[in-house]
Amino acid sequence: MHSGGIWGFILRRTLLGLLVLAVVSVLVFAATQALPGDPARAILGRSATPDSLAALRAKLHLDQPVLQQYWNWVSGLVHGDLGDSLANQEPVSTYLKPLIINSGFLVLLSGIISIPLAIAIGVWAAVRRDKAFDVGSSLITLLLAALPEFVVGVVLVVLFATVVVQWLPAVTQVPPGGRPWDDMTGMVLPVATLVIAVTPYVARIMRASMIEVLESDYVEMARLKGLRENTVILRHALPNALGPTFQVIAINLAYLAGGVIVVEYVFNFPGIGGALVGGVSNRDLPVVQALAMLVATVYVVLNLIADIATILVTPRMRTTL
Amino acid sequence: MSVVSDVAITPEPESVTATRRSGSVLRDALKLWRTRIGLVLVVVLVAIASFGPYVAPHSPTAFVGPPFSSPSANARLGADYLGQDVLSRFLWGGRGILAMAALATAFGLVFGSLVGLLAAYSRNWLDDVLMRAMDVILAFPQIMLALVAIATVGPKAWLIVLAVGLTTLPRVARVTRGAAQPIVERDFVGAAEALGVPRYRILGRELLPNIMSPLMVELSLRLTYSIGLIAGLAFLGFATSTNGPNWGTMINQNRIAIQAQPWGVIMPVLAIALLTVGTGLVGDGISRAAAGIERGRPSE
Amino acid sequence: MADTPSQRPEDNDSFSLNRRELLMGAGGVLLAGSLAACGSGSSSSSGTTAAAGTPKRGGNFRLAVTGGGAKDIMDGQSIITKPDQARLMTAFETLLVYDTNYILQPHLAEEVTQNKPDQWTIKLKQGIEFSNGKTLTSDDVVYSLQRILNPKLGLFGTSGFASLKPSGIKKLNSTTVQLNLSYADAGIGEQLGQYYNGIVPVGYEAYPAPQHGTGGYILKSFTPGQQSVHTRNPNYWQSGKPYFDQVTITDFTDATAQVNALEAGQADAMTDLPFSNVPVIKGHAGLSVLVSKTGGWLPLCMAIDLTPFTDNRVREAFRLMVDRPQMVEQVLSGYGTVANDLYSPFDPAYNHSLPQRVQDIEKAKSLLKQAGQDGMTVDLHTTNGAAGMVESANVFATQAQAAGVTINVHNDPNYYGDQYLKLAFSVDFWGTRNYLPQVANGSIPGAPYNETHWPPKSGQGSNFLDLYHQALTQVDESKRIPIIHEMQALEYNYGGYIIPFFNDLVDAYSSKVAGFEPSKGTLNLTSFGNGYTTIWFT
Repeated sequence: MHSGGIWGFILRRTLLGLLVLAVVSVLVFAATQALPGDPARAILGRSATPDSLAALRAKLHLDQPVLQQYWNWVSGLVHGDLGDSLANQEPVSTYLKPLIINSGFLVLLSGIISIPLAIAIGVWAAVRRDKAFDVGSSLITLLLAALPEFVVGVVLVVLFATVVVQWLPAVTQVPPGGRPWDDMTGMVLPVATLVIAVTPYVARIMRASMIEVLESDYVEMARLKGLRENTVILRHALPNALGPTFQVIAINLAYLAGGVIVVEYVFNFPGIGGALVGGVSNRDLPVVQALAMLVATVYVVLNLIADIATILVTPRMRTTL
Repeated sequence: MSVVSDVAITPEPESVTATRRSGSVLRDALKLWRTRIGLVLVVVLVAIASFGPYVAPHSPTAFVGPPFSSPSANARLGADYLGQDVLSRFLWGGRGILAMAALATAFGLVFGSLVGLLAAYSRNWLDDVLMRAMDVILAFPQIMLALVAIATVGPKAWLIVLAVGLTTLPRVARVTRGAAQPIVERDFVGAAEALGVPRYRILGRELLPNIMSPLMVELSLRLTYSIGLIAGLAFLGFATSTNGPNWGTMINQNRIAIQAQPWGVIMPVLAIALLTVGTGLVGDGISRAAAGIERGRPSE
Repeated sequence: MADTPSQRPEDNDSFSLNRRELLMGAGGVLLAGSLAACGSGSSSSSGTTAAAGTPKRGGNFRLAVTGGGAKDIMDGQSIITKPDQARLMTAFETLLVYDTNYILQPHLAEEVTQNKPDQWTIKLKQGIEFSNGKTLTSDDVVYSLQRILNPKLGLFGTSGFASLKPSGIKKLNSTTVQLNLSYADAGIGEQLGQYYNGIVPVGYEAYPAPQHGTGGYILKSFTPGQQSVHTRNPNYWQSGKPYFDQVTITDFTDATAQVNALEAGQADAMTDLPFSNVPVIKGHAGLSVLVSKTGGWLPLCMAIDLTPFTDNRVREAFRLMVDRPQMVEQVLSGYGTVANDLYSPFDPAYNHSLPQRVQDIEKAKSLLKQAGQDGMTVDLHTTNGAAGMVESANVFATQAQAAGVTINVHNDPNYYGDQYLKLAFSVDFWGTRNYLPQVANGSIPGAPYNETHWPPKSGQGSNFLDLYHQALTQVDESKRIPIIHEMQALEYNYGGYIIPFFNDLVDAYSSKVAGFEPSKGTLNLTSFGNGYTTIWFT
């Protein structure tokens, strides 16, 4: 089924992405059905009376068949109606919007630092393979990549906020209505944690990809033609490394999106990570489901963009389309 | 590893294709200093986690003094948030994490490689279906899937193992498939098929031995992730028991008094850090050895 | 500060009270006396604010509280968690108020009198306004009381006013309200002093409706589970107060984050400093610890009508499994005193004659065996609602092992919504309160927080409700005390509470804040600085 060229490819990939999301939505929805107990009772708690329970069940459509509930939920999602939080009956979208912005800022800031850093380290290590920089950076990235990010976060807090010195805040405080960029000192440690947690692994991937490029026939050919190494790298290797670079950027962003969950908890950062942990603790399924779909969508979209960009940028791969 | 996940596109790790000499890969890996250091770290920490309970001076719930009291003769590393012995709880605290991580990794490795092999070998609609199914699981960060699962029935041990194993599966599957595909293309498989050799035999005898190296690397990688993930879940408050000794939980429970009594945090942080670094080093050593053999160069 | 007789130096026995100050009994009259700038009638034993210097205006007071979440409310007449308390106190006040020695004082009311056993009269102070400019009159008091009585709202104080029907509330003139009770009730005064029975304007509804109270601050913004901002009420009836320009209350997920914020200067005060952290904070220049020896308690609640606690032998065994001094040591780091499964230690009617329980594992084991429950396993639910709740559960679980009982502790963050009050075995938190009001809150059918489902319908203790009514209607104190003693003996022997200790309330604050003083009362931080009006930045 290799017809239609580029556009066919893009279409196929997009449809596949939608299919994946659809299946994901079914699984995420299934989580509600696995919940023990009665959601209506969970919401009303001690103020539950038979009347209020019945009213709430009708409002939540709990009395309808499962498929109908799923359909309600999914069509709501598509229209931006994420349901109401079980904990405070506030619309999930209202509750999550400022948090999404905050987390987005955290991811953006971390990405601006970690992506160029990872690419630079990876490329340089590959180009200067087995030399001092490569050996040194390989080791450091290996060690840092192995550490779980809550360990990194706690260590940073100990070093810079509580025990060793107290230069930076241990907790990010953002008043609702305020934004994280109002007080940038509160961003330093969370961003540092994310950067330290994500960059090493991505740098290693970049290095591996770059090495593949450097060892590819295409580049070998350029070398055999007698071109200077610099020219080989700049004019032949790097352009072919662009494709993997897009993938690397996508991976980096995806990792950051996953890493925020733990990092936000360590620093009490008001973002989706905190909302997720709180939602899980409270069994607030609408919040958890909404966030799961949000992150899944981000992942699928990132994949898609990276896939398409890679194909577009790497001419030799287009022939296999 | 950080508790983040791969995207659906995973560029291959240092390309490792068939070597049929997985035993020699291991031998070569062990010649590297990094593998040795890693192995030592892993062995020491696994020993601490496994045998710690037998040498712990107190039971993990025995009270040795006021909460967060400083080290004393009775409690060499002081007391934790409830007044329990930090040293004893540290010695007890690795078992759960290690056991769950090992089980989850094994689950993911076994089933992931099966799926990957099957997909690589089928080369047809089955391949597509399997890989799409993998994409579905890969649409989340690993920790997210675990959290969604916990949101339903709570932090049960079997659930955590299942969730971590399930998210490990597709990552192993992709690597396995990537490693197996080139082999499948090769002539000897075609020849075996033409001879009427049953599929499972082909899979078992031809493909499996040739992907052992990447699988070994994956084993270390996934183990590193799983340990970090399970400890991370415990840190977030999702351990299997509220007061059971657990390195991840310890870090969270004791970090409030870290200035007065740092041992309750330092010990588990060190343990998790050294363990994950150890498995990471071993994995890297194997990866380098395999790559060295593949390139025909002596590995460094 | 010593202009009213009720403010004479108190006796040093922290568990007794000067009877005259209790307002119980016929003819008890609260004497007029405006509460001057120094605060709610603190006595000399706790130190006056004069020692802290002259109050200064200005600043944004930032408070860090835990125990809340997306379920936070703002209601002048109800609370569930401590952040709710903190917010209520910014804007709402009560007719009477308990001072730091847990003695009732007039506040919005000039005088509250029990003229007859079944009739009370409230006389308001003049010139008090709500934050929207409307003057406080009897109409508002009538509305407030009627709202509290409304069973559909599920407010905290409803059961305490069981003797009052809406038809019994009568406005006599613009500053006087008369309460005609269905039966004699000496406890109305205490109810009017409970912080959650705030006086609200006519037509008031809980957030998200506008929040106008007589208190020092006006709600500016509120995001449940996150933060609320309250600005100074320039119309506040106590002139010169409050001192802060703004109060910001932030929800924190756990104590670690709170302490970090305090240490980093991002918060000015926090509630419920974990007991184990006191030495750390004390060693920190710029931070201070406030220790209040209160009558607060963290009971382990056994529901007497749910297995396995239907058999009193099991309940008794559990009460004997507790090592109380060890609980004080491990849970509270010493910040508390051993208790005897009875509440209301400051009540003059507290039954001191019941022998102090001590741990007796052998007896516990034999009782369990008799009940066929040896080697039993049971779930214990707790949450982070107040300092010590989770630790209590964990320490008790360890202690129970000695008797062969396995306790599985569950720390439920959604505790107060989900299964609360339906659990067989759980931990809860209560503050200082005298006996009869506390019974109304937790120990009779219809009480808002009756965790133990006491009293039983038959058998020992089934006469508890009758005794309660007898005590309420008994105007002669000397006759009331024996009734209360009998009630307490029933709870001691057959009830569902395990009360190992009375915990101190321990809070931490920046040394830049003056005006905090230790209090015996129910709320943290000197009743949140008496509604944030008696504290200031130095």
